[in-house]
Amino acid sequence: MSSAGTLHGDAAARDPHIPPPTLDRPDDYLHAQSTLRSWFLTTDHKRIALLYLASITAFFVIGAVAAGFVRLALVVPDGAIMTNDTYNKAFTIHGVVMVWFFLIPSIPATFGNFLIPLMIGAKDLAFPKLNLTSWYVFMTGALFTLVAVVLGGVDTGWTFYAPLSTAFSNTWVLPALIGVTIVGFSSILTGLNFVVTIHTMRAPGMTWFRLPIFVWTHYATSLIFLLATPVITLALILLIAERAFHVGVFDPAYGGDPVLFQHLFWFYSHPAVYIMVLPGMGVISEIVPAFAQKKLFGYRFVAYAAIGLASVTFFVWGHHMFVNGQSDLASLAFSALSFAVAVPSAVKVYNWTATIHKGSLRLDTPMLYAMGYIGLFVLGGLTGLYLATLAINQHIHATYFVVAHFHYIMVGGTVLAFLGGLHFWWPKITGRMYSEPWGRISALFIFIGFNVTFFPQFILGYLGMPRRYATYPPEFQLLNVLSSAGSTILAAGYLFPMVYLVHSLWFGRRAPGNPWDAKGLEWETASPPPPHNFAGVPRVPKVPYDYPIQAQETGRQHT
Amino acid sequence: MSAEFIGANPAEPVGVTRAGHFATDAQQRHAATFGMWAWLLTELLLFAGLFLTALILRLLHPEAVQAAAGHLKFWIGAANTVVLLCSSLTMSAAIELSRLGWQRMMVGCLLATASLGALFLMLKGYEYHADYEEQMMPFLARRPYALAEQPATRLFVNLYYVATALHALHLFTGIAILLGLTWKASRPGFLQRHQNWIEVYGLYWHFIDLIWIIAFPVLYVVNR
Amino acid sequence: MRTFLALLALLAVNVALGATRPFEQVWLVELGVVAVMAAIIVLVSMEVRREPPLVRLFAGVGFFWAAILFGMTLTDYLAR
Repeated sequence: MSSAGTLHGDAAARDPHIPPPTLDRPDDYLHAQSTLRSWFLTTDHKRIALLYLASITAFFVIGAVAAGFVRLALVVPDGAIMTNDTYNKAFTIHGVVMVWFFLIPSIPATFGNFLIPLMIGAKDLAFPKLNLTSWYVFMTGALFTLVAVVLGGVDTGWTFYAPLSTAFSNTWVLPALIGVTIVGFSSILTGLNFVVTIHTMRAPGMTWFRLPIFVWTHYATSLIFLLATPVITLALILLIAERAFHVGVFDPAYGGDPVLFQHLFWFYSHPAVYIMVLPGMGVISEIVPAFAQKKLFGYRFVAYAAIGLASVTFFVWGHHMFVNGQSDLASLAFSALSFAVAVPSAVKVYNWTATIHKGSLRLDTPMLYAMGYIGLFVLGGLTGLYLATLAINQHIHATYFVVAHFHYIMVGGTVLAFLGGLHFWWPKITGRMYSEPWGRISALFIFIGFNVTFFPQFILGYLGMPRRYATYPPEFQLLNVLSSAGSTILAAGYLFPMVYLVHSLWFGRRAPGNPWDAKGLEWETASPPPPHNFAGVPRVPKVPYDYPIQAQETGRQHT
Repeated sequence: MSAEFIGANPAEPVGVTRAGHFATDAQQRHAATFGMWAWLLTELLLFAGLFLTALILRLLHPEAVQAAAGHLKFWIGAANTVVLLCSSLTMSAAIELSRLGWQRMMVGCLLATASLGALFLMLKGYEYHADYEEQMMPFLARRPYALAEQPATRLFVNLYYVATALHALHLFTGIAILLGLTWKASRPGFLQRHQNWIEVYGLYWHFIDLIWIIAFPVLYVVNR
Repeated sequence: MRTFLALLALLAVNVALGATRPFEQVWLVELGVVAVMAAIIVLVSMEVRREPPLVRLFAGVGFFWAAILFGMTLTDYLAR
């Protein structure tokens, strides 16, 4: 309820090197210092979050342009619009950039970095300089990958399977591999920082079961960062050695086994998709209670489900390899365990739904994204069960069914959660309100555009259209054209926020400390927050999600 | 309430300077140690992939792997293991001395540790040279390969190079950081301000030793 | 110092076994010796015995997770 910070701040806590604030230069973290040096050498987790936000937005645009190429090519069945090589490069660049340079860092490196210290009542992360280092490492990895793109691209697919990537592809595989290897370290450093911070820097009274679910999901994500990423680092190192020196362990011509690469690759890459999913679940878990003004249903179940997801996800990677020659025993084991991993996700969905039930709903932009997320994530998740079924997988592996499945989760899920979170916390981060009508229009464009783009792909996959092919049988053209048309609506939906959010930075209404009447320590400080987050030691609420509606089993409401 | 940096109590011979975002010295020490263990966790999984590859190669090509392992320089590998164990001893000594506040002896032990690490790298270089002379570098396309009549041996031999090179890279980086740390640690007042850096670094050094303790048998011993 | 001597002694055992190869399944013994050496380094040299439970957990979980990697991959290679 306080407005944008006191004018003179807490004199004792103020850094003596920074001049005292004046009427037209407030003392929040955005305005306290304005030199380039103070941004590019910052150790303030909030500024680092914005550095990441700018970078991942740029990479999102690059990845989206690559997707535009793919959808453009698929408008005609005979591949007349671009060469097969160009097409292969387009989907590879789309995948590599979107997975490693947008989706994986998106929510953790922006909202995680910004919010975790605020949510736990700390002044910063445990290792602020390491945090800045992680951004520079991220940009170094990006540089190598962009060099590969600019020099001419890569055509192996984002999965870099051997022996295509090591022995046959004559595109710029090496710089791309080096770039992805480097960017992995950025994730590891972020995950390490989060884990140590959440364990050691909670404010007095902030016990584990008073933490927001956003923190729980980021903790779980960080465990995956630490446990999974090194294995793909090793896989990529072996791939680099194989390509540069013909080491041979993945090359059948030397007696090696390409499936071994796939084991090492997917040991990371399956948990990686949960790196992409869990933070979004954390965002939804914050938005839904706020816009239902109702306590999150089943808090402990949702918290345990996050840890459950992060654990069971490590046991299912072979479901990407059912048709690749692995043993039947392995396929059986991985299939059964893949059914198990759906359970914690379902638990979360039930709890969000139960939270919405009999809540006092406001359908502002963040809530529109959250509800879109829940529906689309369920569709994407359920189709995962089809893919996990051995007999069905034989027919839909490497078809557009898979493509639709993961886009429902990555875009319908994670991207919607990212955008929902961006709108939810925009007032906190920038001190400004965005235009609510434009927010809702964009959400609608994105929801409609998304479904028109990707639902036809489920049908195409069911009918047998393979993925990563530049040409297809002519009878599939209608669905492909429909999908490509949908992508233009989706693109418009992405463009609108880039305009109205930037516009709000100068012309938006100034935001109060808590514009949504939400619960959580981040809403107890000014919008934008002061550099050290809180004016004093924050008072930790005894109960998380202490919203006006605390529904009991009988449905009676307490106000 | 508090200034940005809180100096250690001058009455204490060893301590840490608390950074502004930590509430207590104990919190800062715990975070640093825990952070190092989180990092070592990732390093363990990195090398685990290599050991898995070695195991898979053994399952796929048992005779070839055995033949290849027989050509590795067993005694240099064993000597290098002794060298690293000695270096861990000197590192442990340095940690104990840092706790006692005996700065000069601690610096001596740190330098001894770095020297032993360098000795390992020199022996490794000698070993690689001998491998080159004996035509045991199948990844060099222009050079003949001693075991060419058993093509699958190349896989294990090449894996040996990847594994030992990755370990050597970690050791080299470790020595470089150690030298930098030793320089800072020799300055007056270091142990009052940053004593726990020695302990946290020591964990990393012991870990590099641990990886070699596993790598030496996996590569040189069990496949003979 | 005792730790150092114990590790040296275990290494000598493995070197002797490796040099002489007394029986076919000696690799089992050798890997067992490695496990003991690793445990000594982690528990004693790296002082994990004296650390709080959280650090002990993280010291151990890496080995457990590596076991998942090994175990599930072996369901493929051992059953082909």
